[in-house]
Amino acid sequence: MQDLGRAALVLAFGLALYSVGGGSLGAYTRRRRLVASARNALYAAFGASAVAAIVLLNAFRTRDFSFAYVAEHSSKELPFPYVYTAFWGGQAGSLLLWLLVLTGLASAAVAFNRRLTTEVLPWTVPVLGAVASFFALLLVFVVSPFATQVAPADGAGLNPSLQNPYMMIHPPLLYLGYVGLTIPFAFAAGALLSGRFDERWIVATRRWTILAWTALGIGILLGAKWAYEEVGWGGYYAWDPVENAALMPWLAATAFLHSVMVQEKKNMLRVWNATLVAGAFCLSIFGTFLTRSGLINSIHSFAQSPIGAWFLGFIALAATFSTALILWRLPLLRARTRLESLASREAAFLYNNLLLVAFTLTVLWGVAFPLLSEAVRGEAVTVGPPYYNFFLKVFGLPLLLLMGIGPLVAWRRTSLRALGETVLWPAVAALAVGAILIALGAGSSTPGLLAYTFSAFALAAIVLEFARGTRARKALGAPSWWSAFSGLVARNRRRYGGYVVHAAVVLLAIGVAGSSAYGATKIQRFRPGDTMKIRGYTLTYLNSVERHAANHDELRARVAVTENGKPLGTLMAGKNAYFAEDQTSNEVAIKHDWLRAQDLFVIGDEFKFRKKAVSAVYLKVLVKPLVNLIWLAGFVFLLGSVITLWPDAREQRRLAARTEPGPVVVTP
Amino acid sequence: MIALSVAAALAVFLLYTSFAGGATPSLKPSQLAGHRGTVSVSGYVLAPVAGDPHSSRGLRFHLRDIDGKHMDVRVPVVFHGSEPDLFRAGRHVYVVGKYNGSSVTATSITTKCPSKYSPAKS
Repeated sequence: MQDLGRAALVLAFGLALYSVGGGSLGAYTRRRRLVASARNALYAAFGASAVAAIVLLNAFRTRDFSFAYVAEHSSKELPFPYVYTAFWGGQAGSLLLWLLVLTGLASAAVAFNRRLTTEVLPWTVPVLGAVASFFALLLVFVVSPFATQVAPADGAGLNPSLQNPYMMIHPPLLYLGYVGLTIPFAFAAGALLSGRFDERWIVATRRWTILAWTALGIGILLGAKWAYEEVGWGGYYAWDPVENAALMPWLAATAFLHSVMVQEKKNMLRVWNATLVAGAFCLSIFGTFLTRSGLINSIHSFAQSPIGAWFLGFIALAATFSTALILWRLPLLRARTRLESLASREAAFLYNNLLLVAFTLTVLWGVAFPLLSEAVRGEAVTVGPPYYNFFLKVFGLPLLLLMGIGPLVAWRRTSLRALGETVLWPAVAALAVGAILIALGAGSSTPGLLAYTFSAFALAAIVLEFARGTRARKALGAPSWWSAFSGLVARNRRRYGGYVVHAAVVLLAIGVAGSSAYGATKIQRFRPGDTMKIRGYTLTYLNSVERHAANHDELRARVAVTENGKPLGTLMAGKNAYFAEDQTSNEVAIKHDWLRAQDLFVIGDEFKFRKKAVSAVYLKVLVKPLVNLIWLAGFVFLLGSVITLWPDAREQRRLAARTEPGPVVVTP
Repeated sequence: MIALSVAAALAVFLLYTSFAGGATPSLKPSQLAGHRGTVSVSGYVLAPVAGDPHSSRGLRFHLRDIDGKHMDVRVPVVFHGSEPDLFRAGRHVYVVGKYNGSSVTATSITTKCPSKYSPAKS
């Protein structure tokens, strides 16, 4: 079976290469049959990648340890779902998943847009093929998932921390996000190569960009949830390079999703958009390079890996190609309209973009700083959470405020008086919330108080927008308030879906501010009967219990919890000891208070034994106010994205009219 | 305007990281000589690991370079706090703490995730 897997990868590599060579020649010479065959080669590359993936999945299913990769990442006792998710538990499998998603998404994007962008598409296919060729090359020549060996009696197992439901979906979503950003990049490159850099490529790829961005955003949140529940240190984001690697392209894509609206509406920011889309793509590859190369200390990577140099070469190639393309087409990209006023919707988008890009660059700077300082000073210097947290406040708080102001400002220009009238009610709501919070004692953290107040402002602005729109539709004759509201959203899904996403960001901001600025932590040694009081909770350690499971032993501290005398139940915090992997993992206990969105978080930090029985236990207890709003934000974010992505027949007709083939502006 | 704004933002990062960012030298045990104060050290945990992270004497162990060079350089580490998952002799860890010229008093230990991205085979 390994031979079949290897052959499928070689075939995928060959087909992807053909889509580059044949596609470029076909696009340049305008030979339709050659263009069509390059397109078909891309589809076939997806088929070949799928065959390779099926071979590997089957090897995991049958625990075929003659596959070295299967032996390294699974074991006989690995439970059912994880034996499949072990597919992406290591580097070679991750790259195969990457290739599979890339060729699949590329095929779908090309197939769906075959008629929409007849001039751009012939140049898009070779770009997609080039990215696919790179990943296929790595799998064929550098890190193969089909390396063979004499089958050992059992495999090494899967890292216990990866044996978690969130890890079944978090990595594929991140890959979907990373890889999905290739689609707008390839279409933008195709538009530049073909000389048709109007808004058609944006229209053609809008949904693909939103899909990738949503997948990346949800993937990041699921990773945070996994860290919160599985890693067991009580946090959810540690500014680790691997986490930042996903955050950077997401921030760049967020900026891009806003700025393309300005290009669509006002035909401005064309160079900026081309740069952003190329930047988002390069950042997704750069993040991979950082985490895979082992050059940066991260919780996820450590040892030097041979693929780092390959990624570095590919980033250099992609960045050079993008820069050269943009410079070559600069005359074509010049804006035909100018910013009329600094108080306008387009200006608000610009400010939003500057803040987002500045924050992206800050994170990039922080991640790359050890490499740069080592190159310049001969000593790697790292920046830690204080650096990132500082800039999160510097750029994040104004972004929250802009999120409220932006939608209220008119296109072209707004007078300061009109602006004042528009933001009056959100400002009143924000000040009222701020005053109430100070009275309640939230003034202990200035950034936390500002985050709450600005969030209230943004949320009030969103509610106001929905209220105004609904009232207008009711006045125009909608039979009920509900039909006015649903009609409002249905007729402008992109705009109101976007507002729902803004509401998600507000929830996220409140959750982050609450859990980080107003939390409490205690560590205590317990013997049976000992108690701890924290923020109104009383925890009593009862005893410790052991349980034997199929692939691990469990040790748990039983802790009775009351709040203001009211029993809340028993929490079980402790550790698992995995046999095959020879590792232990923290298994935290969390008591959710859904009404207050608060968690009581208990970590079984250390167990003390006397005569093979637990004599005492160290428990670390955290109270995390509002933390559950972060996870709620994920659902709201998804809802907003789904509203935005939901097919709209009227919009489709508008798009079809806009994407009718027109005159070519410049030809290569 | 865009370019100027981005350039200004970059300048702020440079100034912050250069003067106020609290940047920490990231070193191997063999590179610690000559340093004092807050450092981050990546290393290989040598046996034996002794003590208790919750006791007054703390958790005690030695680190050497991960790459196997400078095998004779071993830096003692003392740690008080929560022992991370997967910590034990033979693991690669990332320690942040104060170096006084002879030992590191660690404020945090991060144990590396050993299999998510396959390490190079030794």
